[in-house]
Amino acid sequence: MSREALQESLSAVMDNEADELELRRVLSAIEDADTRATWSRYQIARAAMHKELLIPHLDISAAVAAGIADEVSPLKAGRGPWRTLGRLAVAASVTVAVLAGVRLYNQDEIAGAQLAQQSQPTNVAMPQAKGPAVLAGYTEGEQSPGPMASGVLQNQAGWHDQRLPGYLRQHAQQAAMKGAEGALPYARAASLENR
Amino acid sequence: MRAIPLLPLLLSGWLVLPAHADDAQDQLKRLAQAEQQQSYSGTFVYERNGSFSTHRIWQRVADGKVREHLLQLDGSPQEVLRVNGVTQCVSGTLEEGVSSVPDSPARAFDAARLSSWYDIKSAGTSRVAGRLANVVTLTPRDQHRYGIELHLDSETGLPLKSLLLSDKGQLLERFQFTDLNTSQSLTDQMLSPSADCKPVEVVKAKSDIPRQKVAWRSDWLPPGFDLSSAAARKDPDSKNLVTSLMYDDGLARFSVFVEPVSGAAVTDIRTQLGPTVAVSRRVTTPKGDAMVTVVGEIPIGTAERIALSMRDDAATTSKN
Repeated sequence: MSREALQESLSAVMDNEADELELRRVLSAIEDADTRATWSRYQIARAAMHKELLIPHLDISAAVAAGIADEVSPLKAGRGPWRTLGRLAVAASVTVAVLAGVRLYNQDEIAGAQLAQQSQPTNVAMPQAKGPAVLAGYTEGEQSPGPMASGVLQNQAGWHDQRLPGYLRQHAQQAAMKGAEGALPYARAASLENR
Repeated sequence: MRAIPLLPLLLSGWLVLPAHADDAQDQLKRLAQAEQQQSYSGTFVYERNGSFSTHRIWQRVADGKVREHLLQLDGSPQEVLRVNGVTQCVSGTLEEGVSSVPDSPARAFDAARLSSWYDIKSAGTSRVAGRLANVVTLTPRDQHRYGIELHLDSETGLPLKSLLLSDKGQLLERFQFTDLNTSQSLTDQMLSPSADCKPVEVVKAKSDIPRQKVAWRSDWLPPGFDLSSAAARKDPDSKNLVTSLMYDDGLARFSVFVEPVSGAAVTDIRTQLGPTVAVSRRVTTPKGDAMVTVVGEIPIGTAERIALSMRDDAATTSKN
């Protein structure tokens, strides 16, 4: 393993950005005196950058290792059918999480890129019949003007510049012409003219 | 034996829940009636990301005619006059291809139809424009439409406030009265537009111009959305044949525009303007490339899927 790769992994671990592989690489190399020295130097550099208090040469790893060795592992207690069931449950919830994640991932991407608003933790809880009604806890925090605030398509030259505003207006005007739902489609169409 | 104490619980649940939903559906029916039968005047605000505007509305129902006069109070005086849902005049210019006569009769709020796609619930009361309001929430049953929160005037059933919310609860747009008067009698003067309101040419008179056949259709549509209008026209600038299709689920609406393109310069695009999303996709057909643009008040993922599902019937049949 190259020295450089290890140093990169060390840095990643320190920033809490290491993946599983990097973490293992670092753990297997941490007994090495050189690696420990590098780790220690990184910590000093980081503390200096963050203006944190640092006690140099404080190494509590031996004490922690000893503490872990003394501890009774809770896993050893639970053998038998429950363990299998537990594994099944974990597998099931991972499946659910993956399925949910696929959907959320797509939504996140959209919301992040398009709405340019604060992303709130997904709160699907809809109100029941009680109290002052609000469909969802939307936030009106900093509504930094999104990419769409001032114009439809900055940075999009050419065809879209010519066609999209027309399409947007045509859609809004046609909807307003339908004459249903009162004044809302009219207001949408009017707001397009205000840009 | 354990089931027995549960039984009354289950039964009462059965009885209570539909009653609740019915109440909300009744509110929607009342709203549909009020929009056709109630005379009123008022001021409302409309807000979406990057835009805030104030408007005045006068609606008079007399002799079986519904006259609506709308005027924007700030910025340019956007004005519209509608009689029985048909637009008579507008200030500003209409886009090419906008038809003033609805292809299909304007559909009022159809609570029964909406309940297939939205979970309609009563959600307590609120106060808007100094009036007591009942809140009805329409929560989408799938990810293909947005949620709506309606605050309906408890006296007349008119919508005092309407919010459009994304699946994350983000507010996409707000429509809200600040003042509503249902007792004042409206004069002719209030309902007559200014000179800037240009009469809309009735497109029906031009219907002898042969309409281009609409060759594009969608392989996939979000459930509940039906085609409400379709047209094809020659664009005067580019001389290209532009197909426009409009779909709705009784509440949400989107348009699909298809236009042939040549050259490699045009790229795909996805963008959002408040509640309205626009997705452009380049589609290859045997007859050449086309740009499919979906514009509407639907989530961007749904718009994208629709854009990718458009097929050219003419191209496939001529091949066979």
